[in-house]
Amino acid sequence: MVGIVLVSHGNMAEGMIDAARMIVGEMEGVLAVSLQEMDAIEDLMGRIDAGLSEVDTGDGALILVDAFGASPFNASARLAMQREKTEVITGMNLPMLLELAVQREGQDLEAVTQIAFEAGSTSIRTLSQIMKKN
Amino acid sequence: MPVVHIRMDNRLIHGQILVSWNSAFKISHIIVTNNVVASDPLQVTLLKAVAPLTAKVSVLTIKDCVNYCNSPEAENETIFIIAKYPEDGLALVEGGLKMPMLNLGNQAFVRGSKKISNTVFLTESGVKALKKLHQDGIRITCRMMPNDPDTDYWPTIEKTLPEWAK
Repeated sequence: MVGIVLVSHGNMAEGMIDAARMIVGEMEGVLAVSLQEMDAIEDLMGRIDAGLSEVDTGDGALILVDAFGASPFNASARLAMQREKTEVITGMNLPMLLELAVQREGQDLEAVTQIAFEAGSTSIRTLSQIMKKN
Repeated sequence: MPVVHIRMDNRLIHGQILVSWNSAFKISHIIVTNNVVASDPLQVTLLKAVAPLTAKVSVLTIKDCVNYCNSPEAENETIFIIAKYPEDGLALVEGGLKMPMLNLGNQAFVRGSKKISNTVFLTESGVKALKKLHQDGIRITCRMMPNDPDTDYWPTIEKTLPEWAK
């Protein structure tokens, strides 16, 4: 199964796992890594790398980061570009993680990335849009 | 004045720059300058990839950065320089870049560095570089965000690390 590492500013990544657990229960092969204000990028890269090694059982890993261009993304991208079967997706949100939790078994990295992308982007709605449709 | 700000920040282009500083200054050109970063193709590719829609990104050696900023090409730009270490800031000034102020951003712990705050750790050579800038009449500030005050930070460095600042 493709491994998942969540990387964020502060405790968002751990909070995502905590929130997802309330909906889908314990998740296998999912880890959180946090950027703290005193961290060097190289330290953060080391922790992400250790997380990847832990969750990647041979099928590769997908890294979910909070924001494009920010340090969690920069560190993840630098690692992913030097590593086999590793993808990075930005703008992580709870629906993205939930879909990954229930749908990724038996899928390859490309398919898993697509699941995350679709779930993450299509889950953003406004109440007015939904009301107009009904 | 094409160069509006020089920031010494280990994280280079990251969230604080793209969101807070970019909206405060309406930056048109972000120049990342450090000789090691400029010679690492992977880092150069990534730094260019995270450019905001409204600004271009260059990754230059210290020498090329000074030359570019003093060239006519730079005159109509709003340039935000990100150097990695205090030593880079000093090299920019010694190379001929004129700036009244240099700002310390994130300076993470590296071997041999000592803590000034949660976001600023300095090495002896970094403190010496800042001292030289201070003695040249350049104000050293420490602002993570654009609305942090631009008070002189040298007295804090001198007080916290007197063994290196003397």
